[in-house]
Amino acid sequence: MPAIEISDLTKEFRVPEKNPGLWNAAKSLLRRRFRAIPAVTGLNFSIQEGELVGFLGANGAGKTTTLKMLSGLLHPSSGTANVLGYTPWQRRTAFQKQFSLVMGHRTQLWWELPAQETFRLNQEIYEIPDAQYRATVEELVELLELRDCMSIPVKKLSLGQRMKAELAVSILHRPKLLLLDEPTLGLDVVMQKKIRQFILEYNRRYRATILLTSHNMDDVVELCPRVILIDHGRLLYDGSLRQVVERYAPHKVIRADFNEAVSPVELARIGRIAQYQGTRAVLEVPRGEVSPRAADLLTHFPVADLTIEETPIQEVVRRLFTQAPSKAAPRG
Amino acid sequence: MSKYLYVYTLSLQNVLQRRASLLMDRVGGIATLLALYFFWSSIFKDSATVAGYPKAQMLTYVLMMSLLRSLVFTGRGWEVVGEISSGRLSNYLIRPIRYLGYCLSLDLAQKTVHCAAAVFEISILILVLGAPFHIPQSPQTWVLFPIIATFSTLLFFLLEFLVASLAFWTSESGGPLFCFDLLVQFLAGAFFPLDVLPRALQAALYMTPFPYLVFFPIDVYLERAPTEMALKVLATQGAWLVVVGMAAATVWRRGLRNYAAEGG
Amino acid sequence: MNVARLRQHFKIWLRIAAMSLSAQLSYGLGSFGFLLGKLIRLFFFFAYLLAIFRHTDRVAGYSLHEIALFFLTFNLIDIVAMVLFRGVYAARRVVEEGDFDYHLIQPCSPLFRMAASNVDFLDLATLAPVLALLAWAGPAVPGGLDPWRIGLYALLLANGIAIALALHVFVAGVAVRTQELENTIWIYRDLMFLGKFPVDVYAWPLRWALTFLVPIGVMVSFPAKGLLGTLSPAWTAYALTLASLLMAASVWFWKKSIAAYTSVSS
Repeated sequence: MPAIEISDLTKEFRVPEKNPGLWNAAKSLLRRRFRAIPAVTGLNFSIQEGELVGFLGANGAGKTTTLKMLSGLLHPSSGTANVLGYTPWQRRTAFQKQFSLVMGHRTQLWWELPAQETFRLNQEIYEIPDAQYRATVEELVELLELRDCMSIPVKKLSLGQRMKAELAVSILHRPKLLLLDEPTLGLDVVMQKKIRQFILEYNRRYRATILLTSHNMDDVVELCPRVILIDHGRLLYDGSLRQVVERYAPHKVIRADFNEAVSPVELARIGRIAQYQGTRAVLEVPRGEVSPRAADLLTHFPVADLTIEETPIQEVVRRLFTQAPSKAAPRG
Repeated sequence: MSKYLYVYTLSLQNVLQRRASLLMDRVGGIATLLALYFFWSSIFKDSATVAGYPKAQMLTYVLMMSLLRSLVFTGRGWEVVGEISSGRLSNYLIRPIRYLGYCLSLDLAQKTVHCAAAVFEISILILVLGAPFHIPQSPQTWVLFPIIATFSTLLFFLLEFLVASLAFWTSESGGPLFCFDLLVQFLAGAFFPLDVLPRALQAALYMTPFPYLVFFPIDVYLERAPTEMALKVLATQGAWLVVVGMAAATVWRRGLRNYAAEGG
Repeated sequence: MNVARLRQHFKIWLRIAAMSLSAQLSYGLGSFGFLLGKLIRLFFFFAYLLAIFRHTDRVAGYSLHEIALFFLTFNLIDIVAMVLFRGVYAARRVVEEGDFDYHLIQPCSPLFRMAASNVDFLDLATLAPVLALLAWAGPAVPGGLDPWRIGLYALLLANGIAIALALHVFVAGVAVRTQELENTIWIYRDLMFLGKFPVDVYAWPLRWALTFLVPIGVMVSFPAKGLLGTLSPAWTAYALTLASLLMAASVWFWKKSIAAYTSVSS
């Protein structure tokens, strides 16, 4: 049985129309006009138990809205979702005890108090038996290197320490499903790595299903074999990370070193010049014409060294979401 | 001067725009006014004079108290505390504008709106309930009362500024300010006239600046005291203004030094 | 709600209360200032009432002890409501800063969480002088106290607290729904000032409004009248019915608000 299965999930927000001016403000006091803004439109996907999936999209694409529907915070306008066998927005206790939502820019930890206080609160909320609670805390403190942070008021922790404590408090009840919204936001590179290691470890150790959004492509590349891309609330692609590149990068990249400076004007016939430094150039060449153009380059230019590479995933995804949606190739 | 005028007009628009919070503030004033008005009305059902006040005088006291609350007690204390604690104060210090003048301009805008609202509410009450309202007879009162009311306003502004300056030394100055705001209302006569209290207590209170905020100004308005008494009130207010003003200035300067030392 | 769930919620409440207390104690001066301010308000108001009775012996037909009884009953209900439902005062902040998202996804009633999320023990300290003064004013009521009247008083106090709860739930619902309505709760607090005196002092339109429209009178004046033995069975029945209706309506409104909740954008 899949851990998450959604079909035709749609969410529109009704926002009151605001027109400038005192007269319009007075009018809207009497009768408000609403405009429907689609946030998510007809979304379908399913995720198997134990999968680690990256959920990607530009700002405002509808990622957070989807996560909020999956956790039961928002009622959808239409469509259905089945998460761990439950309809999330019915907010059944049994369902709530099996998942967790972590939002990178927020915290549920009490600001003035040491983190362990909120841990104890969550023990009561999730009704975790004492023995299991102690074992879990011990394990998490070990894994996340939290020993020194537990008894310091949260407001005095660094952002990274706080994020680790936030992760720990969110999974005290060993959720089978983790929804992570930007878990590495604002963290330094070392801390990002630690958080990623932990996510991977949690996924492996408990066969937990994890759905993760991130703007940080390193998170996605290191963690997620599978990605789901959405744009303007619609599904754009659902499949393996590798294939994203083949499918959405129309170019390959040729890096070339020359024995002497070459003319950029002549180079331009090989491909689009992405970088040029006289004796060194990076060229983008249409996927189907890599061989003939490379041959052309080798024959007519003083090439010292040459490599042919795929466009980096980061680059592909960045381009996907900066392009207009209509140009963003067929839907997956 | 023109920049303060600009701050004033800007803030005036701001106060008017935030109608919800204006309404909320007014509801508080109206509830207090109605409660005390009817409380005293029901006392006067049985007796003609209470604590030396005939009915019309006492009800006028309640109505004028509502007006003076809107004029005198709309300080900037909480905003000042917020700006010091959050470090936003620095934004003003680096600009060519005096913080005190800036606050006063903002406060005057609030007072303008609140006084207009209070006058409106009081007029409605007089019209609807037929509230007896004392109108001063002597021309001296018409001259003296506005001056005394202005002095009260400045005196409260400086007193609250003094208490709010505590924020330079502790991030928890909200507590003392809360105490001060409540204490001042009782000691100034902003709930009940001070002369219902035992004499010894009154005498002690008159040594403090608080009765000069509400109680004595209304006393002058009601013409319960002769003109010499009114002049004495004015002189005492002036003296308190100097004392409190100097204290506020000193504390503020020290506070700023402390603020700068801690890097804002 | 079954027993196990009630037990769980009680334990959560204790936890939150303990956490609130330690958070408050970490703000010693601030918290103490607020406590002192509330005591000042209580004592000065009471002192003025005493002082006024040096100049008159009746207010709206009530003696000093009776007026004191009304004023103290008002404080009793006000304080208990403040202690128990304090979280609602932060409702807008809880919703705006997104903490409410966590309340919604956790296996604990979000309404309970909203109300109880900020238990204020320092407020409890203001209850002591109120109870002490009640012990002074209560026995002096004409006709004396009998168990029947004390029972009615207790019932109507609970009823008043239920009305307060319903009003707080409405306010919390508004906060969840709009996220922008500037602290509806403060309008409630402002209007509560009218409850310091018995509703009988007010002219009829206001008295009517306080009995039927914004039932502050039913909340705080009716219990005192019950103790004085001046509340008819019909009015008692009205008070009980009103509280049940308001509770039902407020919970319905809360559920509607939750369903319409849009969460805050990150």
